Parts: sequence; C-alpha cells; structure tokens
Amino acid sequence: MSFVKEFAKGLWKELPPFRLVLGLCPTLAVTKSAADGLGMGAAVIFVLVLSNAIISMVRKIIPKKVRIACFIVIAASLVVAVELLMQAYAYPLYQSLGIFVPLIVVNCIILGRAEAFASKNPVHLSIADGLGMGIGFTMSLTFLGALREVFGAGKLFGATVFGPDFKPFTFMVEAPGAFVCLGLILGAMNYLAIWQSKRKGLPEPSLAASCGGCRACSIGESKQIMQEG
Amino acid sequence: MNYFEMLIAAIFVNNIILAQYLGCCPFVGCSKDRGVAIGMGAAVTFVASMATAFTWLMQKYVLNPFGLGYLQTLVFILVIASLVQFVEMFLKKMVPPLYKSLGIFLPLITTNCAVLGLAILAQRNEFGLGVSVFYAFSAALGFTLALFLMAGIRERLVISRVPKSMQGTSIGLVMAGLMSLTFFAFQGMIG
Amino acid sequence: MITSSILVMFGLGLACAVVLSVASKLLAVEEDPRVEAVLDALPGANCGGCGFAGCESYAAAAVRDPDVPADRCCAGGPDVAAKIAELTGKAAGSAEPMVAFRRCAKSEGNVAKRYDYQGVPSCAAAKLLGSPDACSYSCIGLGDCMRACPFDAMYMAHGMVHVITEKCTACGTCVSTCPNHVMQIVPQAARVMVLCSSLDKGKAVSEVCEVGCISCMKCVKECPAKCIALEGGKIHIDHTACLAYGSSCQEVCAEKCPRGILRCLGAAAAARVQEAEAAA
Repeated sequence: MSFVKEFAKGLWKELPPFRLVLGLCPTLAVTKSAADGLGMGAAVIFVLVLSNAIISMVRKIIPKKVRIACFIVIAASLVVAVELLMQAYAYPLYQSLGIFVPLIVVNCIILGRAEAFASKNPVHLSIADGLGMGIGFTMSLTFLGALREVFGAGKLFGATVFGPDFKPFTFMVEAPGAFVCLGLILGAMNYLAIWQSKRKGLPEPSLAASCGGCRACSIGESKQIMQEG
Repeated sequence: MNYFEMLIAAIFVNNIILAQYLGCCPFVGCSKDRGVAIGMGAAVTFVASMATAFTWLMQKYVLNPFGLGYLQTLVFILVIASLVQFVEMFLKKMVPPLYKSLGIFLPLITTNCAVLGLAILAQRNEFGLGVSVFYAFSAALGFTLALFLMAGIRERLVISRVPKSMQGTSIGLVMAGLMSLTFFAFQGMIG
Repeated sequence: MITSSILVMFGLGLACAVVLSVASKLLAVEEDPRVEAVLDALPGANCGGCGFAGCESYAAAAVRDPDVPADRCCAGGPDVAAKIAELTGKAAGSAEPMVAFRRCAKSEGNVAKRYDYQGVPSCAAAKLLGSPDACSYSCIGLGDCMRACPFDAMYMAHGMVHVITEKCTACGTCVSTCPNHVMQIVPQAARVMVLCSSLDKGKAVSEVCEVGCISCMKCVKECPAKCIALEGGKIHIDHTACLAYGSSCQEVCAEKCPRGILRCLGAAAAARVQEAEAAA
C-alpha cells in the first residue's frame, strides 16, 4: 500500500518540475523536442532509482557529517555509468543532450530526494519514491518538450503535425520560449491546485515553491548545511 | 577569438543563465534581493574560476595520462566539492571580512550546475588553461549580471498586482523569458 | 584500465580527504561560546536598532569588541542589557529611553493631494509615482512602517502614522522603512521637537503646507545652548545638549517659531496633539 502511495505522489501531487520546481536547468534546456525530454527523463529515472536504492541501503553507515559528499559521489558514479551506456547505445541522444548528461549529478532532484527521502526510508520505499519522481519528471519533460516542439517546429517526435502552411513559432524552441512556457505551466498548475481545493472546500494550498525546499539552494537554511557539510 | 570578444560573448551573447540554462536554481532562489544577488554572483565567479583551473589541471595531468576521460564527471565534482569546502575554511580563518560576505553562499555552490557546467564546457571547447579560467570568469560575470537584473525586477514586482496563481516562481520564470528575449538581441553582436 | 581507475579514484579521494581534514585542523576558527550565550539573551527580532546587521552580529561585536556597550539592544531594554553586561563583563549603564517620532504634521497644514492614489496600499509603491501629497516629504500614510514594525507599536489615523510610546522600543525599523524619511528616533524625554522633515526651500514649503518648516533659522539663532542647527536641509536638534541645558531657556525656540512646528512634546504633550487631531 505505502509502496503505491510513495510511487503515485511523484506523478501528480509532488510532480517534480511543476509542483516542487526541482531540477529546472534540464527542464528548460533539453525540452526543445519531445524525444530529448523523454531521453533525459529516462536517464534521470535510471540515476534516481539507483541512487535512492543505494543511499537507502547505506544510510545507516554514512556518518552525518559527510552525508552530502557521499550522496554526490554515489550520484556521480551513477551518472558516469549513464554516460557510458548512452555513448554505447544511444549516441545521437547523448550528443543532443550534450552537457546536461554529466550535469544530472548536480540536478537538485537527485540530491533533494536523497536528502529528503532516501536517507530516512527503507530500500523498497526509496525505490518507489525514485521511480515515481523519475516518471513524473519524465512526463513533465516530455509534455513540455512536446508543447515546444509542436508550436516551435510544427512537429511531434519528429513527425510533422500541421500542414505545409504552418509557420513555426520559433520563439518556443529558443531559450525565451522555454522560460515563458515553464512559467505559464507553473501558473496553470497553481491555478488547478487552488481550484481543486476550493471545490473540495480545503484550505488554500501552498504555491509551487522554489526547488521544493531542496536545501542545497536556500539561503535561510545554509547555516545548517554548513554545519553538516 | 581575442579576450575582449570572449568576455562580451560570454556575458551577453551566450549568457550562462538566459541562453545556456545553467544555474537556474539560484536564479530563481537567490534573486529576491539585490545584495544577495551580488553576493551569490561574486561567490560563483570566485569558485568557478578556481574550480575551472583545478579541474583543467586534473584533466591534463591525471585523467588524460591514464586514459580515464570517462571519469571526468566523478573527478570534477569531487574536486569542486573539496575545493569549496577548503575555500570556505580558508576564508573563515584568513580573510574573515570576505568570509562574512561570501560565506553563506559557498556551501550552495557545490551543487550549482554553473560551476560544474563551466568546468566541463571549458574541456569540451578544448581551451588552454588561461583561456579556460578567463572563460569561466566572464561567464560567471554574466551569471552575476542576470541575477542582479532579476533581483532588481523582483524588488519592484513585490508591489505590483500579480494574479494569485502566477505569483512567485511562475511570474519569475515568465520575466526570465522576457529577459532572455532581450538578451537574444545581442546575438548579432559577435559574428 | 579497471585497476588504474580504481587507483586514481582511491588516490584522489584519499588526497581530498587528507587535505580537508588537515585544513580543518589548521584552519579551525575558535568560536567564543559567549557569543552564543549573548545571542540567546537577545530578543532575536533582528530589528537592527542596535546599529548592527542583526542580533547575531551585535552579539559577536559585544563579546569581541570592548568598546561596544552592552546596552545597545533597544528592543530588549534594561533586562537584556544587564544580562549582556554580566556575560561580557561590561558596565550596563542606563540607556536613555528613546521613541520613534513622526516629523510631519500634514493634517494641520492642510496639505493638498497631488493626485488620488488608487494603487497597491504601500508607501513605497506610491512613492514610485512621486508622493501623492503635494509635499514630497510628508507622511504618505499608507502604513509601510506600521507593517514593518516588529512590536506592533504603530497605527494609522487621519492619514498619518501614530506611535504608541509604551510599545515602541525605538528599534529604528520604521526609520529605515519610510520612503520619505519622516520617522526619527528621539529621546522620550526630549523637550522640543520639529514636526516637519521637508528639504524644500521656504517658498515651496509655504505653497503646499500651512505649518511646514521654511528654514527661517529663527530657532537656530534663538537657542541659548546652540543645540539647534540646519543640517542637510532639515532643522536638527541635539537632544542630548538640549536636555543637558535644562529648562532655563523656557523653550524660546518653540515660542519664536513663526510656523509653530517646533513644539514642546514630551510623552504627555504628544498625547495632547493626538487628542486635538482626533477632535479635528
């Protein structure tokens, strides 16, 4: 039961980039097309599930003081593995994702889940959490990628969608389009959440906060990290 | 490409946040106050320049001779994390005033993709040591500029009426998009 | 390849660990435990009234710097000062009780509105369009200071802010918040105060306000203790010198002021003005 719960929360309630606002850089950078988004998502699922599993396994023997450093090293090793796998089996994808494959290691979604979940929960729940979050992340990236590809290039997964008269709205595939698109989606998610809770008569939900409280990035809690790190 | 062209290109044309999407987390998280933005920018500039130098040496004298290029990511992040920790301790002891202004930002920088990204980008572009460091320095200046501009806009945004569901990160990202569009105009500057 | 990669990672990890652990020994900074104790004694409002960046920096300064007095925390008052004095081994002294004071009397001066401001209710926002009052130095009256006040010591009435002396700790938050720099910290016992903070020339002031300071310098000339001066375009009273001189001058400055804005306002007199305003 709890396995399903942990898995399902990543799919909607705590959807990483849109509700928790985790891992913005790849969300913006590799969503020029739906296929790129999907590929990036797959790589993140791989790293996230394994890192969650490993961290959860060794969580009792990691000294508190060097916890963050250990998480980073584990994630980095897995990222190297992903890099090698992609070079061997999906070289075109590896090339189009470019620098953002090695940068998975500093994606706050990995460290954020490790810190917030895997370091406190047993292995099977951590795997469920990683899987749910990873799939949620992939869905979001594919959705954003599809949106930008359809409007920006008139294609979906490389196949032409509109007729020959369609003039692509190039803005969408360039950097500004990425920011504006993500901003509007966040706004829409907030609107949905507010509308939903109003209908159910619940108190107003908190708006999508920056980085889902990933502690690596917030000034207020930096003191704590300093002491731990 | 001469140094001046590189500086302009890295700050305006290929702005690290607005055109290359590196370091978006602090761009959203640390852009509420102009002072904080400058502090964060200075810390990133400092660490990125140093980290690029160190990782360049690592690549040249450790990874390449042993044919271990595939360990790049792992080694770089290790070097950066240790470097940040060391710099923090060093500043705390030796230069307390500087530590006071940059100290709180340093631990955040290990997981800043701008720092690791610049180190890797410098390798992929096959720059020499001096050029790599200069590249990292100028790109980090671009980071500071974008952060500072964003903070300036956000300070004004506090007192304007934004629809409830667009408040916070959402409107911030839309504004980042408009800024990015503005920076797009610099594309024609360097041919 | 496997051996070399293992060796390199092992060597690198070891090197980093050794460097960092040696550095943490060599570069360790000893924290004075008293700083923590002083910080605990402080109210933690981080109001900045002590002149430091926050409670933490004041605590550090009070412990390390022998010249920083123990009684700088205005929010905590004498109790906290005594505790800090005990912790740092300094003389507690007696801090002069201070209070925030509004240097504006626009309702008496019938200051006209320049335009009808309908925007976000915030002085800072209104100030972006230029002050809504005809006088650019008046109390805008949209309550930025009231919301900023950590001690709930302010309220709005008749388009202006009012200070509740009993609650005010003179932390100075309102002084730094007010976009028109209307608020000022003065001793509670101050004998005479100026109710205008305009920087304009006399003619410009008298056009917009019936009681604004026209910088006629009468008070400056009349004061026998020479504790009134025109500083940076505003009349400034040196309250320490004024209180030290005593009441033998019979507040000649207030008497001679042609605009009637130099007033004898003790804590009691301030209440009287508020009553008068309420009646009007």
